[in-house]
Amino acid sequence: MTAQGDILCSHCSLPVGLRPMERRLNGEACAFCCYGCCIAFQVKSGRHEEWEAAWLLIQLGVGGFLSMNIMMFSLLLYSDAFTGVDAGVLPWIHLLLWIFATPAVVILGGPYLREMWLNGIQGRVTSSALIVLGVAAAYLYSAFAVFEGSTHVYFDTAVMVLMLFTVGRYLEAVGRARAARDLEPLLAAESESATVVDGAVEIRRPVREVSAGMQVRVRPGERIPVDGVVVEGESNTDEAVITGESRQVTKGAGSKVIAGSINIDGPLLIQSSGDGTATRWARICRSVREALGRRSPTQRLADRVVGVSVPLVLALGGLTIVYWAQSMPFDRALLIGLSVLVVACPCAVGLAAPMATSLGIGRLARHGCLVRDPGVLETLARVRLLAFDKTGTLTAGKARLVGVDREEVGIDEVLARAAGLERLSEHGLARAIAAAAAQRDITPLVTRDVRTVPGRGIRGSAEGRPVAAGNGRLMNDLGWPLPPSLVERARSLEASGHSVVYVGWGERVHAVLSLDDSPLPEAQAAIAALRERGLDATLLTGDLAQAAERVAALVGIKDVQAGLSPEAKRLVLDRLRHDHGSVAMVGDGLNDGPVLAAADVGIAVGSATDLARETAALVLPADGLWMLPWIVDVARAVRRTILTNLMWAFGYNLVALTFAAFGLLQPILAAAVMAGSSILVVVNSLRLERLPDPVPALIPEQRSGTKAERTHNGAGISAMAGPAVERS
Amino acid sequence: MIYYLVIFAAGFAGSFHCIGMCGGFACALGRDQRGGGATVLRHLLYNSGRLTTYCFLGGLAGAIGQVICTTQGLTAAPLLNGSLDIAQRILAIVAGLLMIAMALQFFGLLQVFHRLAIGFGGSTFALSLRGLLTARSSAAPLAFGVFNGFLPCPLVYAFAAQAASTAGALPGFLVMASFGLGTFPAMLMMGGVGRILGPVWRRRGVRLAGGFILLLGLITLGRGLLPSDAHIGLAWLGGHPA
Repeated sequence: MTAQGDILCSHCSLPVGLRPMERRLNGEACAFCCYGCCIAFQVKSGRHEEWEAAWLLIQLGVGGFLSMNIMMFSLLLYSDAFTGVDAGVLPWIHLLLWIFATPAVVILGGPYLREMWLNGIQGRVTSSALIVLGVAAAYLYSAFAVFEGSTHVYFDTAVMVLMLFTVGRYLEAVGRARAARDLEPLLAAESESATVVDGAVEIRRPVREVSAGMQVRVRPGERIPVDGVVVEGESNTDEAVITGESRQVTKGAGSKVIAGSINIDGPLLIQSSGDGTATRWARICRSVREALGRRSPTQRLADRVVGVSVPLVLALGGLTIVYWAQSMPFDRALLIGLSVLVVACPCAVGLAAPMATSLGIGRLARHGCLVRDPGVLETLARVRLLAFDKTGTLTAGKARLVGVDREEVGIDEVLARAAGLERLSEHGLARAIAAAAAQRDITPLVTRDVRTVPGRGIRGSAEGRPVAAGNGRLMNDLGWPLPPSLVERARSLEASGHSVVYVGWGERVHAVLSLDDSPLPEAQAAIAALRERGLDATLLTGDLAQAAERVAALVGIKDVQAGLSPEAKRLVLDRLRHDHGSVAMVGDGLNDGPVLAAADVGIAVGSATDLARETAALVLPADGLWMLPWIVDVARAVRRTILTNLMWAFGYNLVALTFAAFGLLQPILAAAVMAGSSILVVVNSLRLERLPDPVPALIPEQRSGTKAERTHNGAGISAMAGPAVERS
Repeated sequence: MIYYLVIFAAGFAGSFHCIGMCGGFACALGRDQRGGGATVLRHLLYNSGRLTTYCFLGGLAGAIGQVICTTQGLTAAPLLNGSLDIAQRILAIVAGLLMIAMALQFFGLLQVFHRLAIGFGGSTFALSLRGLLTARSSAAPLAFGVFNGFLPCPLVYAFAAQAASTAGALPGFLVMASFGLGTFPAMLMMGGVGRILGPVWRRRGVRLAGGFILLLGLITLGRGLLPSDAHIGLAWLGGHPA
């Protein structure tokens, strides 16, 4: 890819392609993908004191003035206002039209001529060549007709074709800018400036110049430019772009803030905790920029079609003129040829994919989902099978207390003693136990002389008696007897992939706690929703079969393949692809990088790795699994839009071309419908804006729902294991 | 001829409405540093840009009206000979109703069109064009006038509807030309007039314009509804010159 591949249009944020229109506006170098974007950008944000910006609008206005005068007189001519007595003025009116048309053609046609020239010297023929040739033919013929004193001139056709195409491109650019609106917050990271507070002075600086320790003031309504800690002020922030959760988060002095989030209602003074370029926001920005710069396969195909079709259309136009010139006057044949050139202009085809794709990317980006390759949305829409990784993807990746088996003691007593010990430890299992106790509102028993025994557990004394929590070896070391029923229970739990912790006090082991990496509360609902959309799910994991199957049963996955090494996962993936067509792999992006890269669509959930090293094409925010069905919806909508766009563009071109070649379409009408076709593609793509948002409101409900289910399942297991078992 | 004089008068009265928005533009256009002559030229260019757009819209509306009428199988009958075909009647009714609706809006009775104009992004468009006013080029006022003519404005819509109902490019063009010329005096003198005329007078002017439009709308509606030999309004106005 060339260096220019990364340049995005200043107006619509689509890639500018190989030959951007470059201009200096507002003192900045801007690149535009098309003439329309250039105009639209200047109307929208150009500071009109600048000569060049105003000049373009003046050109358009003066061109409009001239072409409207031409059109008016032509309308009068067509409605036979100058017949009879007034017939003598006809040559003068023709001359007047010529005088009006000449500057109009120069002013309005100039940009197209330049575009054709720039492409021409590189040996390419683009659609602007069609316009230039058609318009030039109509103009030159008419000028000739004025000399000849002929009754028909076609200055109106020449000028109106140009005017309609210019207006059409302008409207198209306005639509594309709307498409870019969603992406703006993400792309802003590189151009954003921050108000740096240095003593009493406040200076605006580019974010990239902000380094750790600097203080930055953020006014309400502004985007927070750096990661950091609030020093002063209180406000609500919206972190949706980064975390995907669009709810307000209250921040006060000491709270951490994330770059890219919006400061909603209060001024904040923030101490930057890192470089302005090192934030996740800035990384996302770079990644999105890269993605937009790439072309999806559909896009490449459409581009190739456009490239081939232009010379074909030129040939067809020539043939049409030759054919009709045999049976009718040359000027009529020329007009028919002109209609063919104008109507076959493949602008809409080139627009079909990129706009829908960037709308989709922007839509996902607004909820924190990052698309790193534009083609991935189209692929995901076709996928029929999703393979999930277990740990960290379907499960929280953290231990949770799932069961307490005890003998002759109350569950609260067990937890009070265990938590009294474990709350002083940093071990993962210990924290899970302390958290479980806290959740049940159990006050941990005050425990003294607490010591951790490495590799075994933890011990101390409470109420004057020794208390210990740990594995069987700790209990053996202490010489405390293990009741056979508990040993039996622990063994079966361990076999099914649980971690177990014995709890003992008063020279005896009283209970065994079982901990597990439990499925994420949203996993079951997400998989059910995916199944509703006709997607199969399968679980690929390196864990033990029992543990994998339990999780799979809880979340509703039937097909499980456990005990797989990363290489084996890739092999399984290849086999699945052979059976199901394309396969998407969902992982946490930490240790399944190669597998994600090998899948047709790699989806990383809550990836903490550096985006630059990320192998997944689609990155969801942490806890973003619930959005997966919505993402599939978006991907399918994008694909549908691209297909309808292409169908419309090709179908329209074919039908209109036939009409034009048979001489049934006037050139002005042809230009109007052609411009309309592009606008229709834009409008059709903009319908993607109306896709529903993911519904985060459902999540707490779903969470409590699955929690209830889990306790229910837990009760089933405990009934099997006997009356002494209870679940937290 | 009286017909066009009435429209001219309506345009003149309506220009008190123009003072609201377009007048602001005219003021902003201000005077040229190069002297009085240049200032007059500036404003003339601006207004002729505006007029061109109006005339174009009028001619276009008229031509469309004509097309609608002729595709009904009958030639666009000159309005004088009294043989109005169905399509022309329908056109007259639609245009008449539109004009009456606009007139009601001028009396402050109907707010739909105002909201429509805002929804259309008229204000954003105007805002982005404002910059053109400060450009130093002598062509800038002309370009600005052209764009200005396209800004959503109930007056323009009303008369464009009227132009369409005439079912001919030439009469349509003449309707809008008369209207546009009617707005000339006030817009040209804008700087001065705007200050001399207080808001009370402006409101009266707007009411007057509303009255004119209501009258024209009723006549147009009548042309569509009443039997062709009872065209009081047309008789009174002296009819269209064909």
